Amino acid sequence: AAGMAAPTMEERKACWGARDEFWQCLDSHGDDAAKCEKLRRAFESRCPQQWVKHFDKRRDFLKYKKKLETEGFHPPEAAGKS
Amino acid sequence: GGPRLPLRRRLAVAGAVAGAAAAGWLYVRHQKERRQRSRRLRDLRALALGQGDFQLRDTAGTARSKADFLGRWVLLYFGFTHCPDVCPEELEKLSRAVELLERDPALPPVQPLFVTVDPERDDEAALARYLRDFHPRLVGLTGTPEQVRAAAAAFRVYVSAGPRDADGDYVVDHSVLTFLVDPDGIFRDCYSRSRTAEEVARSVRGHMDTYEPLPL
Repeated sequence: AAGMAAPTMEERKACWGARDEFWQCLDSHGDDAAKCEKLRRAFESRCPQQWVKHFDKRRDFLKYKKKLETEGFHPPEAAGKS
Repeated sequence: GGPRLPLRRRLAVAGAVAGAAAAGWLYVRHQKERRQRSRRLRDLRALALGQGDFQLRDTAGTARSKADFLGRWVLLYFGFTHCPDVCPEELEKLSRAVELLERDPALPPVQPLFVTVDPERDDEAALARYLRDFHPRLVGLTGTPEQVRAAAAAFRVYVSAGPRDADGDYVVDHSVLTFLVDPDGIFRDCYSRSRTAEEVARSVRGHMDTYEPLPL
């Protein structure tokens, strides 16, 4: 599927910028996505859909990592395990 | 009985015989070691060519294999042009490491190489367009899916294309590593995402310092 060409350097930077603005908004609103709708739409319009998915996963991972660093690791209750 | 040689003379003769035997033994051992060394060098040279070899094409369409890069230090990265962030960052880092090394005129030049893990989309034109933004001497390599698969396998690089979306777009999950290969084609080191450009340059310089070319 040799569809669209890969984003250029300018397009990549525009996408990363929109992502960073969206993430900053989330950071300052306690991850309340409802408060950052406009920036979310800008982010989605500036980045290929695959990248939006990738960055959403990255954000989840970074937050999980931060949680581990600040709260420590609590293994989930292993019900029914011998 | 006939005249017997005095003790001193007998000792001298025994000593001479022992000495000759020892010299003979040392010579035989020396020859054996030389043969072993040269066999080892032959094996090492064959290993160097077989290890991490590839049959790919550069952005001019010219066939390139590892043999084409012998005589030069090589920093090689596997990636793809539709990569969201990691590949541009790693290529920036690679370019910067090469620039840092270029600042020292006493050091041999380093050849930066980019091998695509997405041959379906990354043809010569796509690679040329993408690599324009990085180091001017960065060479891009692509090939048939089989050739690219073989090259990745030769470097033990994990590659896994993700599912396509409605537009046919997809990302390729892959090991993020930059490999250092010496002028004999021997793999010397690999650098992960966590190493900075300065650290990579420092490491390459260290390898250059300890490098001894395989004798011809």
